[in-house]
Amino acid sequence: MSTILSPEDVGHLRTGAHFLACAIDPTAIHVYAGMIQEAMQDRSVELITVDELAPDDLVVAVGMVTQGLFIADMPPVGDEFTGCIEAIETRLGRKVGAIYSLAAANINGIIPLMVGLQSSLPVIDSDPMGRVFPLISQTTLNIGGVAIGPIALMGVTGERAVVEAADPQRAETLVRALVTELGGWAATVMYPCSARQLAEHGVHGSVSRMIRIGQILDADTSAESKFLSLSDFLGVTRIARARVSHIEGLSRPTDLGLPAQPSSVTLVDETTGQIIRLEIQNEILLVLVDGAVAAAVPDMVTLLNSEHGSVASLEDLRVGNVVDVLKLNAAPQWYSEAGLDLAEPAAFGIPLKHPRRRHG
Amino acid sequence: MRVGLMLQGSSCRALVLEGRSVVSVAEQRQAGSLADALDSVLSSLRLQFGSLITDVTADVGRVLAAAQPGDVMAVHISPRPPADQFHNTRLPASIEPAVTRTVHVRGGHDLRGRPLAPLGLNEFLLELPSILSGGMRNVAITAVGSTASAEHETRIADAILSNNSDMRISISSDFYSSVFRDRDYTAVLNSALMESGEELAAMLEETGKRHFPAAALSYARNDGGRAPLARLAVAPVHALRPEPAMAILGAATLGGLCDGEVVVCTDEGVSVGTIRSGLPVAHSLIRQGYEASLATNAAIVEPYTANHPVRPDIPSVVVDIRSSQDTPPEHGLLPTLPGVPHLSLIGCAATPLTAWIDRLERVSGQAELQRVQHRAEEEAGSAVVQLGASPTDTRIIESNVFAMPYGNPGIVRIRVRAAGGTSSSEENPLAGQALGATA
Repeated sequence: MSTILSPEDVGHLRTGAHFLACAIDPTAIHVYAGMIQEAMQDRSVELITVDELAPDDLVVAVGMVTQGLFIADMPPVGDEFTGCIEAIETRLGRKVGAIYSLAAANINGIIPLMVGLQSSLPVIDSDPMGRVFPLISQTTLNIGGVAIGPIALMGVTGERAVVEAADPQRAETLVRALVTELGGWAATVMYPCSARQLAEHGVHGSVSRMIRIGQILDADTSAESKFLSLSDFLGVTRIARARVSHIEGLSRPTDLGLPAQPSSVTLVDETTGQIIRLEIQNEILLVLVDGAVAAAVPDMVTLLNSEHGSVASLEDLRVGNVVDVLKLNAAPQWYSEAGLDLAEPAAFGIPLKHPRRRHG
Repeated sequence: MRVGLMLQGSSCRALVLEGRSVVSVAEQRQAGSLADALDSVLSSLRLQFGSLITDVTADVGRVLAAAQPGDVMAVHISPRPPADQFHNTRLPASIEPAVTRTVHVRGGHDLRGRPLAPLGLNEFLLELPSILSGGMRNVAITAVGSTASAEHETRIADAILSNNSDMRISISSDFYSSVFRDRDYTAVLNSALMESGEELAAMLEETGKRHFPAAALSYARNDGGRAPLARLAVAPVHALRPEPAMAILGAATLGGLCDGEVVVCTDEGVSVGTIRSGLPVAHSLIRQGYEASLATNAAIVEPYTANHPVRPDIPSVVVDIRSSQDTPPEHGLLPTLPGVPHLSLIGCAATPLTAWIDRLERVSGQAELQRVQHRAEEEAGSAVVQLGASPTDTRIIESNVFAMPYGNPGIVRIRVRAAGGTSSSEENPLAGQALGATA
């Protein structure tokens, strides 16, 4: 059912997008949410479910790809996504009927709302990750065999490109290289597909889920009450409440073309005495408890301030701080053989199979 | 002996500290002007203690907060200006009216320090006469990517100064944040307060030197450290909110706490901060909800809640400074120190000189990371010596490396804090314990 989103919804979406971003600094989300709420004063954005579209309607993913410039240091100036949609329409000779998020968290979880406000296109309550991954090839659409291209890009300086590549991994390599030369980020439109394909291979309820998470976390209730509500709604489990004891940068070698440096955080659960180890690269990829795997990508791991129940960013991880380490399952597609091939720890350079692969 | 001063309106209050002992507390002195109040307080201290006073540190945060911000011209350097009204970021309402003109200049850098666009210097020079003819003296310059390269900001600043050397210029690369609007806000606010900072520095210098010609004169900073008065004229924003840090440091000083937790019970509620190596743990931003953050190192002081983890193995100081202590403090807290009403003044008197290195570095592996981190530690130590610290009494308080999520592989943020004293016998009474703790 179609919904007109309100500025309050955007406020909650901001919190939910941060929670699911697994501890990334939320400032870019805040900057963008503020701009969207400002724009909503005289325009509205419509959230629809994918089955409200005709099966053959053309839908596209919108999202930022970054490699070398923080979005919060230079937010898009405003013509990038509309320019990319025009480029795709020109290339395919068809009008885009609706847009969806490239990822269901972080900045890409919120960007489609601004694009919807600018273009008057409805925003579909679906996405191709169900969380955020660093690579554009790490999508459920890719698992489902949906073509990633053509991909339209516009960079920091206003320069544009269209990439045609059949193989998603090759598209990732080309886009990443282009993004570097385009100034450090690019607005992109990709995975042009039919509404039917998105319905079959996407993850659904993404935007409304972020809004609901935000409603829970923004409520004036205790940290424990928020955790219990998240547990009811998402099946969130608490791996540990632990104190940060050591932070290590560049803790693992990386040569896979993945953005950002790997780092590690060691915590101590002072109730049980267990040692918790977080392996991080953009997101928290792996959680070990006394050396045993407690969560591994594509599981989502996020951190909550144990006192206030607010989302803790990696920047908040200082030696001595106490945080709740939470785990929630990713979309079911990610636990298929093809899904694990794309997104288990080995895909991030950690030589480890996901427990579900080993144990069926 | 060391003096802590608190300036507010046209009044001044002082406290004298010797080691960890308060030897004198001057009542708040009200006068016809702030300068008269300061003169009166220092005159009284000179009669009591004369040349025994070695350091005077002033908290000017309340004066700066009450000052009328000067008008500012903002210069934004980026590859392209916003294309529509939706894509403008806004400054907090309290400072937005101070920006009377915004000029866009093409330029900016990426995270690797590579230019995103050539600097539009010639176009700016064409506009400069009209900028200078308006009588505006305060300028804030913010460039995309200036955490990686300050070149475009400094070239625009040089262009302005070479045409009018009296301009007060604040460049955003002096304040660490990877967010444009945070640096813009901080540079604008800093620029708007520079005139007040100059006046305060001149007043403190003149009055302080008249009464205590041999003493080191400083101002208190938001991170719990201090810096020489000359820095107040160029970076007043770091002096805007020192009180929470100084209160934490003051309680830690009284309690002899070098590493641990400080809990302060006031009429407004209970707050908690952490002391590490003799100084309050600090964040590089003062967050203001969803608005732009102030890019200044400031002590982390949070509300103490019922969920606060109580750690018997972590030393703590609990101070009750409520106006009435007829009822016990909230959360079953038991004060470990008698109620002391002048915690922040004690902090001001005890605070050491501090300096930060906070920047991006390119590294290719662990060995290089260690090299750049070591270099940053040496530079932080040198910076605190340049502020006046004795080379033999300088120590690294923290040295951290942060990976940059979704940044460029090979780029890390290095953040180092150094502290030092001007005379090893009298400086920060917690410093010796800090050294002992790490030895």
